[in-house]
Amino acid sequence: MGKFLERNKLISLEKAASTVKDGDMVAIGGGLCLREPIAMLRELMRQGKKNLHIVGTAHGFDMDFACGGGIVGAAQDTHVSFEQDFGLALNYRRACESGKVKINENCCNTIIQQFRAAAYGIPFMPIMSAKGSEETLLHPEFRHMICPFTGNDLILVPALIPDVCICHVQKADIHGNVKIEQPYVADVLMTRAAKHVIVTCEELVSEDEMKKIGPTMPYYEIEHVVHVPMGAHPTSCYPYYAYDREHISEYYKLTQEGEEAFKKYLEKYVFSVKSNDEYIEKIGGAEKKKRLASWKDSKEAWMELFKYE
Amino acid sequence: MSEFKATIDELFVYNISKTIKDKTVMFHGVSSPGPAVAMYFAKLTHAKDAVYVGGVTSAIDPNPPFFPTSTNDWTMMQGRTAMITIDKLFDMAQKGELDRSFFSGAQVDKYGNQNVTMIGRPGKVKIKLPGGAGGCNLSGDCINYTIWTPNHRARVKGDKKMFTLVDKVDFVTNVGHVTPFGTRQQLRLVGNGPDWVVTELGVFDFDPESKIMRLRYLYPDTTVQMILDNTEFKPIIHPDVRVMDMPTKADIELIRKIDPLRAHANEFPPKELTREFVI
Repeated sequence: MGKFLERNKLISLEKAASTVKDGDMVAIGGGLCLREPIAMLRELMRQGKKNLHIVGTAHGFDMDFACGGGIVGAAQDTHVSFEQDFGLALNYRRACESGKVKINENCCNTIIQQFRAAAYGIPFMPIMSAKGSEETLLHPEFRHMICPFTGNDLILVPALIPDVCICHVQKADIHGNVKIEQPYVADVLMTRAAKHVIVTCEELVSEDEMKKIGPTMPYYEIEHVVHVPMGAHPTSCYPYYAYDREHISEYYKLTQEGEEAFKKYLEKYVFSVKSNDEYIEKIGGAEKKKRLASWKDSKEAWMELFKYE
Repeated sequence: MSEFKATIDELFVYNISKTIKDKTVMFHGVSSPGPAVAMYFAKLTHAKDAVYVGGVTSAIDPNPPFFPTSTNDWTMMQGRTAMITIDKLFDMAQKGELDRSFFSGAQVDKYGNQNVTMIGRPGKVKIKLPGGAGGCNLSGDCINYTIWTPNHRARVKGDKKMFTLVDKVDFVTNVGHVTPFGTRQQLRLVGNGPDWVVTELGVFDFDPESKIMRLRYLYPDTTVQMILDNTEFKPIIHPDVRVMDMPTKADIELIRKIDPLRAHANEFPPKELTREFVI
């Protein structure tokens, strides 16, 4: 039997977030500063979720924000930073260093192979790399085996089956067909690995329109669809909007001031916000949307977006 | 005629680009603005037939209009031919088809192991670093890789010197030549490990016998003594250590043209950026 065969999968952000349970293993889509499901993270914070075990590849704003919002219990990503822009992810650092968040750091290919095992319906995958790295010490669940064909020492990494996978995508229809623009990062793989799948979308399109553009993932792999314009903000969701450096700069300055100062960010953009429309107004409304869409206008306009303080 | 000057960050990018050969497959990971610019520069100059996997987006042979402050941005996909997905990149590496990658660390030891995970040890974390992304796997799998850091110069804190090039890293994230679990040969890793180390003070390779980092080139304003003062372990000094070949004015102008935001300079300590060199 297929996984998700409901005819109409459209639900509210609140309802979708309420299906996530405290302690769940949650795979987060997108990566670094691109297409991360930030609106869903805000809703999980408003609902007071706790102790989520976050898994994914190389991430940035999302994981730092989730740590700052107090919903994370363990971090099984491969990298968390603001890259060459702002550098170290300070909420994430504080949470790891204080012991609030368990460090289950992993490596990209290792975790990809674990998602593959889950997606392929097999118990583990063998890998040849990661030998020599102490990242293996953070994973007592890994095993060694001498390959019966080559005699090489293999590391066996078990299937990683997230309780839920949450992705933000460009387009979806109510039946659950999904169109993602490249790069997919690990979204397609994690969706196939997870038990439950929530997709938030920038644009809700008709099923006829979806047939024309061709879905990236078929409807039977998607459980819930939520329509949230600007749902990845302040990370990018091209072609709609680029990364909001101005907003991330405001965010980062508060994380630098410390945990207390960061509460101001949470109050302003999370806890006091009643609707997605209100959030869009708070971040600058139509004018901000227009500016973040201006990357299309020219190389100069696009470059300008990376200069905002 | 006024003098034409290059800055240290530009020479640094040029030196990284020199580690890239034509007709090879190359990839850089997260937070790697220096290698990103060096790869594109190499592709436009001496490595026209190299395969340029444009960072985390995994676009093949892109022509980025400029380098943004993230490696996972649509700028890195412009003008591409094909797109692959990130898992395919790792497959290529496992098969021994990825010739070169570029890794760094808050600590790099004499055998080229890098720490991108933590200062301290598991259970006693002093500083949580960002994490190695794909480095732990790719440092094992890719045929060779270039280690880069613009933070070689030791920082003085009170009466203590804090080194980036350390005798022993707190935690081995990316594997060099000799790991806590044995040598690369003993581990039967696919790749051959790091062959070049480019810093803002010099360029190293590895001694073929001892596998310890060996100084090969200096910048016009650095000396062997400076290298020794800023390195916790004693690197091997190549008998022919000399000042590196300088890029041409056209090379520097090309670097400026392809990286107008100077993304490659972002990881340099600000005071290093005042170093200038007459070309």
